[in-house]
Amino acid sequence: MKCRKDKYAVKIATLAVSSMVFLLLTGCWNNRDLTEINMVTALGIDRTEDGKVLLTVQVVEPAAIQSTASGKGKGGGAQSKPVFVESYEGETVFDALRSMLSIVDKKLFLSTAQVLILGERLSKNGISEALDFFQRNHEVEYEMDVLVARNATPKEILEMETDIDPIPAVYIKGTIENTVSRAKAKRTILLDLIKDMGDSGRQPVIGQVEKAGEKEVRTEGAAVFRDGKLAGWLDPYETRGYLFAAGKVKSTIVNIPADNGKISMEVIRSKGKINAEFKNGEPAMLTVRVGLEANVGEYEGKGKLDSPDDLHKLEEILGDEVKKEIRRALDKAQKDYSSDIFGFGTQLHKYHPQYWKKVKDDWNDTFSKLPVDIKVDAKIRRTGVIKGPIKKDG
Amino acid sequence: MYAVSRYWLHCKMGDKDMLGRTRKRNRMVKQNAHIDNIRNDTNEPIPQTIGAVRSGLQEIFTGCSDFVLREIVCGKDSSIRMLVVYINGFVDKRVLNQDVVRPILDYFSNAKLQDKRNPIYEQLKECVVNNNDIKEAENMQQVMENIVSGEALLFIDGEDRALVIGVKAPQGRHVEEPDTEVSIRGAREGFVENLLTNTTLIRKRIKNPNLKLEIMQLGEQTKTDICICYIKGIANEEIVREVRERLKKIKTDAILDSGYIEQFISDSRLSLFPTVGNSEKCDKLAGKLLEGRVAIFCDGTPYVLTVPYLFIESIQVSEDYYDHAFFATFMRLLRLLALLVSNLLLGMYVALVGFHHTVIPFKLMITLAASRQGIPFSPITEAVLMIVAFELLREAGVRMPRPIGQALSIVGAIVLGEASVAAGISSNLMVIIVAITAVCSFVVPPLIRATMLIRFVFLAAANFLGFFGISFVFVAVFVHLCRLRSFGIPYMAPFSPLTASDFKDSLVVAPIWAMVTRPKILRQENTKGAAGVKRQEARLKR
Repeated sequence: MKCRKDKYAVKIATLAVSSMVFLLLTGCWNNRDLTEINMVTALGIDRTEDGKVLLTVQVVEPAAIQSTASGKGKGGGAQSKPVFVESYEGETVFDALRSMLSIVDKKLFLSTAQVLILGERLSKNGISEALDFFQRNHEVEYEMDVLVARNATPKEILEMETDIDPIPAVYIKGTIENTVSRAKAKRTILLDLIKDMGDSGRQPVIGQVEKAGEKEVRTEGAAVFRDGKLAGWLDPYETRGYLFAAGKVKSTIVNIPADNGKISMEVIRSKGKINAEFKNGEPAMLTVRVGLEANVGEYEGKGKLDSPDDLHKLEEILGDEVKKEIRRALDKAQKDYSSDIFGFGTQLHKYHPQYWKKVKDDWNDTFSKLPVDIKVDAKIRRTGVIKGPIKKDG
Repeated sequence: MYAVSRYWLHCKMGDKDMLGRTRKRNRMVKQNAHIDNIRNDTNEPIPQTIGAVRSGLQEIFTGCSDFVLREIVCGKDSSIRMLVVYINGFVDKRVLNQDVVRPILDYFSNAKLQDKRNPIYEQLKECVVNNNDIKEAENMQQVMENIVSGEALLFIDGEDRALVIGVKAPQGRHVEEPDTEVSIRGAREGFVENLLTNTTLIRKRIKNPNLKLEIMQLGEQTKTDICICYIKGIANEEIVREVRERLKKIKTDAILDSGYIEQFISDSRLSLFPTVGNSEKCDKLAGKLLEGRVAIFCDGTPYVLTVPYLFIESIQVSEDYYDHAFFATFMRLLRLLALLVSNLLLGMYVALVGFHHTVIPFKLMITLAASRQGIPFSPITEAVLMIVAFELLREAGVRMPRPIGQALSIVGAIVLGEASVAAGISSNLMVIIVAITAVCSFVVPPLIRATMLIRFVFLAAANFLGFFGISFVFVAVFVHLCRLRSFGIPYMAPFSPLTASDFKDSLVVAPIWAMVTRPKILRQENTKGAAGVKRQEARLKR
């Protein structure tokens, strides 16, 4: 009986010690209250002229948001701003982030960041160094949108106050999110950017953001990179051409000329496929195949759309129009920037690995010289509720 | 099967422990022996003369103003002397006078009626006293027990026996709807304090001679009537025997409520989770009996115990069977959800705002942060303060007389809800979370007390280790639940061990016409059989 009791005592002691160790080792090391952190909504990074990193953060003030949202600020009077923006220079991003605590009271919390805005100067010098921190840190949200600021520094964009949303970062994110229905800007989330950066068969394209006024931004167009450095820009239509080829168009409006006016076609479905045709072990031609379906969204003119022939004609025009855009994007990528943003290299890597090994290092130059064959197959599905425009003379 | 037979083995070993404990208790009883002096000299026979009986009883009941002695003298030359003894208020005096005293007087004053062949005692017993409930007392101990339990006793001069005449007056309140288990649909009858009324209520519902009611007395001082009730042929004999044995081992001064018994016979006496069920509702109890459970009635309380009690019973409600099965299933799931929420929500919140900011959606995070802004306490302090305040209010609400309780709830609502937020002591969200926790805890009444304490454990774990701590405690609690047994039946049945046929009445409720078989887990025959032991030995050899 006594022996049994001793065993119990040993058991209990072991349990107690192990649970103590267990608690002490892990402890409350990471217990931070929500009120002890600064929630970062947007990050901006740029280079200063002497090569340092200029980090800008936009931090939200939850209480102020709450009072603006409920419409009645408690106590009326002086209403605090919903966000504040601070910048700090440092040797690296992490250094700047930590050193910034000298001017900001609470620790900066990155998981809430909605957008990351890269400055033009930084982009030209190369973004891969600056992005290392964002890959390494566990707190960073991988789905944060990345944009490149054009004609403005990230700081200028983040400092804008907008009337549309109390938090500018949310507003900016909203404008880039809605590109699914217009396809005139490229949406890149951090995770995709990091993937593209590590992929030698595809060069990253990042959406572009610029100031549209005192209180608005515009996200249209895209920035083309080559080897981690900004090579140039695509205008909205070129961006759409690029997206068509890459098969990333969900919905957009394409305008085509028609009898006595113009038609706005609403693309409702689109598929893009790229490939490289080989001859004698060398790529002879690059091909882009796009299939799309569209509805007639608006007809500014007087034509009728009640016969299949009319529609077939329209389909052809629509196909040509899209083809033109793709061609423009390709021309830019090949001739101006010499950067394989479409990912032909990835296709080669997949289907012709032997050849790819040889050309991998100067693929972008090879890419620039190859002819491209583009085929667009457009189908029109519906013409809307009415067949033709109202006749005034009827 | 293997697991179960092992349990019985364990139970056998456990008996030794129980015996050990019993011995200890006996020692305690001896220490209190001087209180018990009535018992020591009661095994003696009943004196033959009325005078001796009278003086003996008067000595024992000194100071008992409700003790009544009445001497009847009748017959020729006043030769027949009798003594009626009872406790005032306990017996129905009108019945006693009409059915006992008057027939005796009539009988002996009319010589013609008398039967000369039989002794007076037999005559009285067989043809004089107008009562069906007649027993005999043969020694002073029985005499004493019967007097204090409310029977009338009749002593006859020259006999060393006494007649025990059951003329107990019906007492206590009427059968009414129980406050604790209100149902929208189903019988409104609830048990009362009177044992006999309660057993009748069950007998009314199960008209079957197989419904067995075994009576016994417990409590050295209180001599409380306890009744084991089961349906022979449905209930597992092993369980019935186990109940009987465990009840017999109880050595205590008083049984004032079935709760005393519950604590003595529970399998795991320190567990927070109940392994003995209780109910006030007749229809519910009838259902439990028909499933093969054993009920324990206790005189003086409307709460009837049922064993074995399994976890799943805490989310079962009698209405589940009266209603449409789909609805009942939905309600079951809802109750389970409520159980989880009332345990975990507070801890989850503390873990979320303390550790896992990364998993909170952005917009929710702003709301959270905004509500936390300017609160001087850490989330854990705030949570503990609020939940303690709530438990205080709840307890006060229970203890207060009902009219004052109303005022209390107003104060509680205003102070807890409005003022504390307005004063910036707690956040809006915390009030909401405590409210949800409270509401959810009321959904599963059998587990309210377990939940109340486990909630704090979750809270502490969440504050130290976040979700990791919560899952740690959750696993610990779950392991404990799976280890628990109630009278040999695994607590988590039918999930562990998996008993597919019992799923019909678990998280899902099958329609009543589809519930063809009784719960299998309660019906394990041959649980104690040697087969299991042998198999275990064989396994060890291998």
